[in-house]
Amino acid sequence: MKFLKRWKTRILLFFAVVGPGFITANVDNDANGIFTYSLAGAKFGHMLLWTMIPVTLALIVIQEIAARMGAVTGKGLSDLIREEFGFRITFFMMIGILIINFGNVVGEFAGIAGSLELFGLRKYYTVPICALIVWLIVVKGQYKTVEKVFLAASFFYITYIFAGVIAKPAWIDALVATIKPPQKDMFLHQDYLYMVIGVVGTTIAPWMQFYLQSSIVEKGVTRRQYKASQIDVISGCIFTDVVAWFIIVACAATLYVHGYHNIADAKDAAQALRPLAGDYAYILFAVGLFNASLFAASILPLSTAYTVCEGLGFESGVGKRFSEAPVFYWLYTILIVAGAGVILIPNLPLVKISILSQVVNGIAVPPVLIFMLLLVNKKELMGEYVNSRTYNVIAWITTVVMTVLSVAWFWTLRAG
Amino acid sequence: MTLALTELLGAPVFDTAGSRCGRVREVALAPQEDRARVAVLIVRTKAGDRLLPFGSVTSVNGGIRADTSSRDWAPSNSSEGLLLLGRDLLDQQVIDVFGRKVVRVNDLDLHQEAIANRPVLRVGAVDVGPRGAVRRLLKGVVPSGALRALLRRIPLRPIPWDFVDLIETDPARRVKLKISHERLARLHPADIADIVEELAPDEREAVFETLDEQVAAEALEEVEPKVQKAIVESLDSDRAAEIVEEMEPDAAADLLADLPEERTSEILLEMAPQERKEMVELLEFKENTAAGRMNTEYLALPLSANANDAIEALRHFEGGIETVSTVYLVDSHGTLVGAVPLAKLVLAPSDAPLLSLTQEPLISTHSGVGEKEVAELFDKYNLLTLPVVDDQKRLTGVVTADDVISLLRDKL
Repeated sequence: MKFLKRWKTRILLFFAVVGPGFITANVDNDANGIFTYSLAGAKFGHMLLWTMIPVTLALIVIQEIAARMGAVTGKGLSDLIREEFGFRITFFMMIGILIINFGNVVGEFAGIAGSLELFGLRKYYTVPICALIVWLIVVKGQYKTVEKVFLAASFFYITYIFAGVIAKPAWIDALVATIKPPQKDMFLHQDYLYMVIGVVGTTIAPWMQFYLQSSIVEKGVTRRQYKASQIDVISGCIFTDVVAWFIIVACAATLYVHGYHNIADAKDAAQALRPLAGDYAYILFAVGLFNASLFAASILPLSTAYTVCEGLGFESGVGKRFSEAPVFYWLYTILIVAGAGVILIPNLPLVKISILSQVVNGIAVPPVLIFMLLLVNKKELMGEYVNSRTYNVIAWITTVVMTVLSVAWFWTLRAG
Repeated sequence: MTLALTELLGAPVFDTAGSRCGRVREVALAPQEDRARVAVLIVRTKAGDRLLPFGSVTSVNGGIRADTSSRDWAPSNSSEGLLLLGRDLLDQQVIDVFGRKVVRVNDLDLHQEAIANRPVLRVGAVDVGPRGAVRRLLKGVVPSGALRALLRRIPLRPIPWDFVDLIETDPARRVKLKISHERLARLHPADIADIVEELAPDEREAVFETLDEQVAAEALEEVEPKVQKAIVESLDSDRAAEIVEEMEPDAAADLLADLPEERTSEILLEMAPQERKEMVELLEFKENTAAGRMNTEYLALPLSANANDAIEALRHFEGGIETVSTVYLVDSHGTLVGAVPLAKLVLAPSDAPLLSLTQEPLISTHSGVGEKEVAELFDKYNLLTLPVVDDQKRLTGVVTADDVISLLRDKL
């Protein structure tokens, strides 16, 4: 009894500390994230590890900006864009976000399909059922309860850290590769550029900034309690990227070194956990991937519907009835139905689609960042909480680098 | 004739010589003089922004024409006392008092009429529907004739200007622009609470600073606890005290108990001595007991009182109406002796002694009893009110059915 009670206190304590920042970071390692990092490790070994430190730094800065804007203004990102930049810009921005986020939703359902196929369950049954579950969780107002289950289950990510260690990777090589980017000519390879954009896009996804800022507002964090959220955001970002690092290392040590350079489906990605779980690797991976996909699939369509409706001035909120907020509920429903529907197309290359959605994320990072930077540096909006110079420098460098990478990738496409 | 604000913004302006001297940058009202009439146009000219009083405008359609020279227009240095329709309203949130919700402005409809051969523009309605949205999306892209034809097919969702409440977070501007929440204050407190919950913290603070204390208190009781706490923390402690004094004592105590201790004592210090004492007593009870849920405003009469005395006492009672659905009888030591339901009291002849009207058996509870048990008593005996007594059986407070409903809703 005493033992149980002590654990109960510990778990409660954990949830008390876990805030929007940590949750957002956790959802960041969704199905799309797992596939992208896995492929990065399988295809290029340690050659993408150098991205991890700058990406983490950029992620911390960007997430902190979003959280700070939420705490200071008490408004969501799309609300602010609408109020400061007018209707037309907001409209096109929202259309863009809708398309990009739809890609991510499709990726999540690809994760659901892939994970359950490892148990021999066919996607034609599992995907519609899971789509219905996701839809009901939110419409029936049960999201907050379910969130705790998702969060607890997302500790599955730690298995990647163990798997990475047990796989006996070339530690020295991995550490050197973390600090030192590969030769310049790597950047002329179309596949490599594609992967770099994908890795950045999956880590610094545009939807995260909208979601985090809204969550901060929703939680009622104000200027005064802001310090606690800062720690929450920073620890979340570091946790998510440490996991990402280990996923890449684990895949490099298991797949890349043995010559398996492609990940076509979830079965291939599951191999990375073989050193840890042996023949049970499938089960471990499938459960973890399923949880991550379902978690993100419940958040993404909802967050998208909120973002778009707030920006364009439609009624929104799960507390409202369908007839009160029709656009909100329809958007939410269509995102799920269409997202799941795409996955039902036979012989679809699920992993490829998932990674494509992350590359699109990466290409969309600069525009979203530019708006965030313009907003956070407005004195009349943020007062003394405008960005410091260091923050601006890091964020602008991120914007420029991502633009250059995207342009470079398009250029390699043209060159053939 | 109706004109949209966004059609007016950017329109060319011609002065008395007929030469084109700039474009409309802003359309402004002077709320001190008239809440709806357009008072000034701010014109962007080569020599900077100028103020064109609307009285000098001779025609609006097909470009603004004025009968004064652009050199006479005063430079626009500050917009003090002016409500700028473009900056302050377009894309911003306002309160739709009629629809009882917060809406975002897509456009404004200006009604044009002619008085003594001069055009007068008045704000008629705020457009929150698709018509304004489509106009703004396509303006300048689609030829204006075709756009007008298209817009006529799109349904209008206007909110009459009289039902619009503005939110202004700057207190000085609020005074200059005569922004008050008279119309909002007429809504049911629960509706005000719903509206307030949708606003950003600064905006909530602005609303609670301008509302009348009584209305603010009633609305605050209906706001969800998390938001309630944030609002009270953001207000000055004397304003917070004014509002808390007007709240039902049990609700006020729950609220104060949730605040940081330092803040609670600041607010208590600002309160009137009598109310402060009551509040300190309530704060000492544990929140999840009968005493923590009870109200200390109730009607207790001596054993000798008759129905007429009770009705008279009711007339002078200042507490909330939900606590008087029962009148209590106490002896000279304050011990609870009986309870008379309001219905029995109203039906009885005026000279009937209250002792003959009491409800049997007398149900009461001890102040230390847990809230679960309290809820069970309400369910078992179908109560509307439940008296709470101390160790000496003296009446100390009353728990009402609405307190129990809130309690049960929290657990759902």
